Amino acid sequence: MIKNNSKFNVVIIGSGFSGLTAADMCAGHNLSILLMDENIHLGGQLLRKIPDNLGEPPDQKNDPIKKTGFSFIEKVKEKQITLMNKTVLLGVYEDNTLLCEYDRKKTLSIKYDVLLFATGARERFLPFKGWTLPGVYSTGMLQVLIKSSGLLPAQKTLMAGSGLFLYAAAYEYIKNKGKLLGIMELSPFFNKIKFLPQVIHQYPKFIEGAKYLSKIIRSRVPVKYRRQVIEARGENSLQEVVVGKVDQNGELISGSEKTYQTESLVVGFGFVPNIEAPQMAGCRLEYSQEKGGWTVVVNDWMETTVENILAAGEITGIGGAHKSLNEGKIAAYRILEKFRLEDTDRLAPVLKKLQKERQHHLSFVKCFNSLYKIKSRTILGIPDDTIICRCESIDMKSIKEAIQLGCNSPNGLKMSTRCAMGPCQGRTCAPVIYDLLQVLCQKDPKEIGLFSVRPPFKPVSIHALNHPYKSESPKGL
Amino acid sequence: MIQKSIQKSGKMEHLRIDSILRKQKIKFKLNGKDTEAYEGETVLAALLAAGQKKIKINPVSRKPRGALCGMGVCFECRVTIDGIPNVRACMTEVKPGMIIETNDKK
Repeated sequence: MIKNNSKFNVVIIGSGFSGLTAADMCAGHNLSILLMDENIHLGGQLLRKIPDNLGEPPDQKNDPIKKTGFSFIEKVKEKQITLMNKTVLLGVYEDNTLLCEYDRKKTLSIKYDVLLFATGARERFLPFKGWTLPGVYSTGMLQVLIKSSGLLPAQKTLMAGSGLFLYAAAYEYIKNKGKLLGIMELSPFFNKIKFLPQVIHQYPKFIEGAKYLSKIIRSRVPVKYRRQVIEARGENSLQEVVVGKVDQNGELISGSEKTYQTESLVVGFGFVPNIEAPQMAGCRLEYSQEKGGWTVVVNDWMETTVENILAAGEITGIGGAHKSLNEGKIAAYRILEKFRLEDTDRLAPVLKKLQKERQHHLSFVKCFNSLYKIKSRTILGIPDDTIICRCESIDMKSIKEAIQLGCNSPNGLKMSTRCAMGPCQGRTCAPVIYDLLQVLCQKDPKEIGLFSVRPPFKPVSIHALNHPYKSESPKGL
Repeated sequence: MIQKSIQKSGKMEHLRIDSILRKQKIKFKLNGKDTEAYEGETVLAALLAAGQKKIKINPVSRKPRGALCGMGVCFECRVTIDGIPNVRACMTEVKPGMIIETNDKK
């Protein structure tokens, strides 16, 4: 099995849709393959289910794409692939070396010939007063708890934010007998209508959306548009939420405030790609609002600008499972070709078809992400005493003051305020700070740039750094 | 009445979705108290089911915090497990006999 300093032909980071697809396709060609993931189970954020040791869920009808995904998990487990879950990538170094932490206790370095980043996406947040109170959860957390642990985060909740995922989360919550007090959508209703022509072409997505909406309507949950959370209040945890109405420009209409008594609030504002590892590897990144922010630049073969490093899935543009599946396939074919296990001429027509399909997905990406655009007024309207960086408790006032003093870059802000310096390393606040700098400095995102990334990407204990991984240690280190 | 007594004890057993046939009940220690969970749940799920929403005090603001992202990104659900500090509750499976300490005392 795996040892410290092992070398693999192919290392895949992330076992979501694209990682699984690529692993499955690369297997069976006498290549040594390592598929690693930080989570307890394989499958990434979408392919979640009640673990076998927890219990039997009621019969669930999965849509075709999820069925395909779950079948990949089963296939990958049986093939000649080294699987490492609970493994955190800490750094990407020269001479094709990775540093990882396994199960919090041990570290190991791994070498690769070809590396595929399939690191997926995380949620985007829009800070409001009191969003740090216990009881304020993300839509992702709601889904993860329901699907992986069979638990509702609260019996009763209010939901707020923007985009389609909010409705997916609402559907799941109502289906499992949660009491949903209402959905407060930031964007206006006509955004959805604008979106319709795109969705109709994407038949499965249309059906999915219709399923969510019908459940929400039948449950008589009030859905309100152009609503923004003004404040979450409570002593030690959330007790009430104040919601206000915004006008077309994103400005709050005074006197429109309404207070909801609730011990839980679920928020979601779309997604941001997890680009930290490719960034450190030196892969070129580009900023594209249409793709969901900073994304990894890839060619038609899913190759990044760094030799022998490929990227697939959400990190090349937020677009969902179908796109990830497609890109995982293209990446796998390219990897096989690199090892001369597939014939270039024979592959050409297959790839052409996949690449055409990809263009179709990319047009959906464009439309999907336009739904999440947050207006500059909304960003500017964040009150001074609102926490922006949760880890270091840095508020809007400190950020604004630092910008006024001339800290007009992410790293400048970091050095003067400590924002993005805590345990999450800016994963939660960086997208907000990029937006803030863009609005306050009136600069292009490309000019503003990104926070620099250094290893370790995620906190690691000294104990783990001191204990190299050994798989067959007789002493059981 | 029942609702009131549940709230009083702080237990949130009713948050567990009842359509799932759970297999193995396990016991762990939460801040020194014997607490029940089910095998296969994450530590975060076990904490919420035990009514422990507040997970830590932010070291800078000294204000209470709870889990936010549930998927290993935000690090707001850091707890001490079996003496190892700063372990993400959402990324860890609860195991029998685990000693879990939240860091929510001012």
